[in-house]
Amino acid sequence: MTDLRKLNIDGTEYEVPADYTLMQACEEYGGAEIPRFCYHERLSVAGNCRMCLVEWVGAPKPQASCALQVKDMRPNRDGTPANIRTNTEVVKKAREGVMEFLLINHPLDCPICDQGGECDLQDQAMGYGRDATRFEENKRAVDDKHMGPLVNTVMTRCIQCTRCVRFITEVAGVQEIGLVNRGENAEITTYLEKSLTSEMSGNVIDLCPVGALTSKPYAFNARPWELDKVDSIDVMDAVGCNIRVDSRRDAVLRILPVTNDDVNEEWISDKTRFVWDGLARQRLDRPFIRKDGKLQPANWDEALAVVAEKLSADPSRIAAIAGDLCDAESMKALKDLMDSLGVRNIDCRQDGSLIGEGPRQSYLFNTTISGIEDADAILLIGTNPRHEAPLINTRIRKTWIDGNLEIGLIGEAADLTYTVDHVGTSAADVATFAKSKSGFAKTFKAAKNPVIIVGAAALRGEAGLALLEAIGQLAKSVNLVRDDFNGFNVLHSAASRVGGLDMGFIPGEGGLATDAILDAAQQGAIETVYLMGADELDTSKLKDAFVIYQGHHGDNGAHVADVILPGAAYTEKSGLYVNMEGRVQLSSRAVAPKGEAKEDWAIIRALSAKMNRVLPYDSLEALRVKLMDDCPSFLSIDSAPSLEAFDPTTLGKAGELSTDMLKNPIADFYMTNPIARASNVMAECSAVIAGLNPELNEAAE
Amino acid sequence: MHSHMNRLSGVGPLDFIKRLFTWWNGSTLGTLLQIRSKAVQVGEDEYGNRYFESEKLRYDGRNRRYVLYSDYAEASKVPPVWNGWLHHTYDELPSEIDIKVHGWQGSHVPNMTGTPFAYKPKGSLDRGGVRDAVASDYEAWSPGE
Repeated sequence: MTDLRKLNIDGTEYEVPADYTLMQACEEYGGAEIPRFCYHERLSVAGNCRMCLVEWVGAPKPQASCALQVKDMRPNRDGTPANIRTNTEVVKKAREGVMEFLLINHPLDCPICDQGGECDLQDQAMGYGRDATRFEENKRAVDDKHMGPLVNTVMTRCIQCTRCVRFITEVAGVQEIGLVNRGENAEITTYLEKSLTSEMSGNVIDLCPVGALTSKPYAFNARPWELDKVDSIDVMDAVGCNIRVDSRRDAVLRILPVTNDDVNEEWISDKTRFVWDGLARQRLDRPFIRKDGKLQPANWDEALAVVAEKLSADPSRIAAIAGDLCDAESMKALKDLMDSLGVRNIDCRQDGSLIGEGPRQSYLFNTTISGIEDADAILLIGTNPRHEAPLINTRIRKTWIDGNLEIGLIGEAADLTYTVDHVGTSAADVATFAKSKSGFAKTFKAAKNPVIIVGAAALRGEAGLALLEAIGQLAKSVNLVRDDFNGFNVLHSAASRVGGLDMGFIPGEGGLATDAILDAAQQGAIETVYLMGADELDTSKLKDAFVIYQGHHGDNGAHVADVILPGAAYTEKSGLYVNMEGRVQLSSRAVAPKGEAKEDWAIIRALSAKMNRVLPYDSLEALRVKLMDDCPSFLSIDSAPSLEAFDPTTLGKAGELSTDMLKNPIADFYMTNPIARASNVMAECSAVIAGLNPELNEAAE
Repeated sequence: MHSHMNRLSGVGPLDFIKRLFTWWNGSTLGTLLQIRSKAVQVGEDEYGNRYFESEKLRYDGRNRRYVLYSDYAEASKVPPVWNGWLHHTYDELPSEIDIKVHGWQGSHVPNMTGTPFAYKPKGSLDRGGVRDAVASDYEAWSPGE
């Protein structure tokens, strides 16, 4: 049982867990509101802003409630529980005093500060500060620091709460921000005027309680109160981060995280946060048809007529591939249409992997993201979670930093922000690892909750199936798939992948998978290819085929297309996305599609009408009902699938294990999808990172 | 511009009927009678508006001053100096006082709002202005071939 202690808060006695801080006790039990600047739930306690002072009756001075634990509270002399007061004159005076000191060196530039309207200092000065200043001296000024293309700094505004320092050190895991000097000269700095290299750096903007660190791409664009805010789901990776999309008129102006402890806690990666400027570039806003070798603007009727004619051909010579950013509804509509045409060459795995035939657990991140915190040994195979799923990486780091977690890696070495035992590089090393009895292998086999995380990219092609088989054997031998724990995980990097696999968007009887489709298209066996947002393909093989591209950005797919059907980006449609855990999440539409573009499911529905094969749904709701009828896994929204054991030895197909290096699939974290490739900010980040790591630059080439 | 303001001018039976039933074509007959009986004309400006002053003093010790518009009754047709006289800013008639006219002063123009000569600010689409870029603009992709 929890150790409970008696505590008197504002005159009422409560039984409070001993490991609570006074601040938590006062807020959760006493119902008081304690102002704070430096304290943050997910960071270590610093106790340096002194805003959270409360009165401990009998103590000579007010106490910092964030740094004092309930178990440290000594009872009064007569044995009654300690008295904490949050609303007395002493507390009021203490807060006013702290506030006055903080404002001494804070500039009065709220009207030109981007934090205005959502500033903790502004709010708390109103709530707890004095009404006027008594300060007549000069204010100090601090030089602005360079923190790269994402974070704007106005360091004179800094109140030295050190949240950014603690975040970058503890959560992001790069020691690039620090507090130097003391007293009047104290300042936050990036030591060598170097750009932040963390892919999580944007979170310091949210953490900063004042306007010292603000968003550079969003600078002076808008005030928070004039923005329309919509809760949605991110599609940059397969984590399914919960986000808030802020827009004005038809422009997305910023993206912020929404707290979800099961998924992204309250962080998002820089790609998620800053990709929005790509939503206004390279947009497909009207249909195009290739005439005389040139793509020419057309209207919807003409474009759909051409597509309908092409799709009416022999179904064995037609193929459809769904890309990485598709919502489940549009994939379902496309699958239904292809099924009704008798097309079997459909695939949602544009990366060329062949997984997804077995039970649902065979391609899910079964441990769940929050479940990583129960792991005591993790074996990463052919993956770089820092690039493929930054929030999985922060979760691993969070568990690692708490101790009791050892991590091994088979694949390409990379800086993952935590210590990794590099136990191998190739698929063959998995078999060696299974036989090994020393080093990390020993730890892994003795672990109570061992976890295997295999990157989806490592499972590409036939070689991937052989690797999957070897991993299944290893999983069986260490018994990591049990009734109470499932340590088998596939780490996807595409937002649409699990949803596509769930609904069976894979080749039917005798159908071809992505690689085979591309080869067949090159040889002429496939004449028409329908690409739904599929850009990360070897498009040179599609030169001779008739390519229909449905998507929102002019990227690789659009360049080889013969007909372009403009669709909606993820902020422009409501859709279901299934993250790598199998968690179904619903995104909302923040702005309208650009120009003549339409929501993707509606395009396919219109196409089906043109072909006289009307799909049985007239609204998005009806489509969802059909989707849920056909694949019940979509019924439970927002929760990860319940734990269910399966036999890991059935995974994959026995074969020869390759001794080639399992290369990390993402050479450039900032350039993984059409939206990011259209974004100037992402290009800038990419250039900065390439400049810092020349060897990474070479790898990209 | 001036001819436009004079679009209702002209003398004839129609003009008489207009005066009978509307107040904005010159003055009504009642006003005309009232002014003619109580006041004398003291001057006329370059637009043809005629100015009158009563002989009797009002309760405040001042004469009443009147304007009869040349045709269309529009208050802004009164030029500044006569406006000053009408409102007792000056006691003397404009012809009796020396008002310095600067070289940079333009001639008086009545209020043009609601007419084709209405002022259109710089950047107005009516003046061939170009819309500034706004946040919701986007760059469309075009096949670069």
